[in-house]
Amino acid sequence: MNKVLEVRNLTKRFDTPSGEITAVDNISFSLSDGEILGLLGPNGAGKTTTIHLLLGVTTPSKGEIKYFDKSFDKSREEILKKVNFSSGYISLPWLLTVDEILDVFARLYEIPNKKERITRLLSIFEIEDSRKKQFYKLSAGQKSRVFLVKAFLNYPRIILLDEPTASLDPDIAEKVREFLKKERKEFKVSMIFTSHNMPEVEEMCDRLIFINHGKIVAEGTPEKIAQGVEECRLNLIITKNQDRAVRFFHEEKLKIEQDKNHFLILAKESAIASLLTKLASRKIEYAQISIDKPNLEDFFLSMTRGKND
Amino acid sequence: MINKNIVIALIYHYSYIWRHSWDRIGDSFYWPAMNIFVWGLMSLYVKNASTEIPHIIPVILTGVVFWLVVWRAQHEISLNLLEEFWNRNLVNIFISPVRLREWITSVTIFSIVKMLLTLSFAAVLVYFLYAYNIFIYGFLLIPFTLSLMLTGWFLGFFVSGIIMRFGPTFQTLAWITPMIIVPFSSFYYPVYTLPDWAQTVAKFLPSTYIMEGMREIIFTDNFTYDKLFISFGLNFVYLALSITFFIFMFNKSKELGFGRWG
Repeated sequence: MNKVLEVRNLTKRFDTPSGEITAVDNISFSLSDGEILGLLGPNGAGKTTTIHLLLGVTTPSKGEIKYFDKSFDKSREEILKKVNFSSGYISLPWLLTVDEILDVFARLYEIPNKKERITRLLSIFEIEDSRKKQFYKLSAGQKSRVFLVKAFLNYPRIILLDEPTASLDPDIAEKVREFLKKERKEFKVSMIFTSHNMPEVEEMCDRLIFINHGKIVAEGTPEKIAQGVEECRLNLIITKNQDRAVRFFHEEKLKIEQDKNHFLILAKESAIASLLTKLASRKIEYAQISIDKPNLEDFFLSMTRGKND
Repeated sequence: MINKNIVIALIYHYSYIWRHSWDRIGDSFYWPAMNIFVWGLMSLYVKNASTEIPHIIPVILTGVVFWLVVWRAQHEISLNLLEEFWNRNLVNIFISPVRLREWITSVTIFSIVKMLLTLSFAAVLVYFLYAYNIFIYGFLLIPFTLSLMLTGWFLGFFVSGIIMRFGPTFQTLAWITPMIIVPFSSFYYPVYTLPDWAQTVAKFLPSTYIMEGMREIIFTDNFTYDKLFISFGLNFVYLALSITFFIFMFNKSKELGFGRWG
């Protein structure tokens, strides 16, 4: 697949009264045509700074950004015609109506047949009824949808989405996800996607980059990244010899959470069979058993708690 | 009943806000000082200029109308930038294919439209209320207005540069900066009314030459074109410097990231 974005050794340092802070530390990655790349990391990890560097609203301290094989520095305007952005952390002019806001942006991006394009996107995001409303009168969900309409106005080839479904109802969020998938499939739109909703990230993203303290600490498919967590969650309802079970888990130095007779044990997948054998040999009986394989959320938690550092 | 603890809490609340916005602290002293300077000097002029008294109404009214030109031109530049800060829309604008020079061009064109609107309204108002015709300056009204507009622009880009770098914390500059030239440029009285040191400052302000020219026409029916050329010359130099300053501050701000303004 063609690479539509290439980032090399991107670094951003900020001078603060308490010294220099490296918000983005020498990161390199690429984005292919039609690929959805997830950018994950805890708050303050450097995700938003990375996105702002990619959009040119923050100047990098070092490194190179290339879109469509062209230097972003040298071909900014040409590139930005094909790129767009939506975020829950920005706003739009409060007193303007939705129509006026979209009209201005359609003009800035020189969209042909702007009226048709605006009407079509308003219809897709089910917000046609609000087109004459002033922006400040919209609900949080309606505002998010206007951001998305604005972000798709210019038929972007690359779109950066910072928590695009954060304030949407589940049914609208689902429709937005379906729209994004369709755009990718039909028009090969590439996306950089951030979200704190891990199931959404697993559903949407082909590949993930996990950033912590400004550095890329993991990269790969959602499945591969989740496999980075070795421990599974073993759920047991222990019906006999619970005290003995607690002592045993402590002897084995296993992390457990207990709620009456419900035990949640964190254990390596390869060790579960022998663990169950040992329980049986100690006459510890259980009525129910289930094993949850590690998912992206486990990885996220393990990284933010510094266990995998 | 008024709960005194609640009232005290709210007074603390507003005093904390006041304490942390030194632009507002400055405000508290700036406006009284400016008003005292301008109207004090005006009183001195009226007291000593007996021969010019018959012309006092056109002098003041033209001063007010011409001041509106400077104020409107400056305000449009600074306020349109502030609107982007207040609306948290700066990122949206500058992630679109907008070049900074296009933004600069658009706000200056819009400031011409708004300035002409204000000027026309003020001209009609002074005509109906005081039977004073601002068009007595004839063709010269065009270069006068143009020069004053350039003064407004250079002040506007200078203020916008500071706002761009430091954010809306300094938004009060959009209101107070144009006022600073009023006492020195002698909008309501001749330059000779000023103390010597202030007359030196006045020489470096392009608007001074326009206001002196305006009074020359009112008092003598003559106009020396040198004043116009000096005024334009100074304006072009200051405008070039202030746009350069604005671009420099824009790039400095981008180094810190526009995202910090939302």
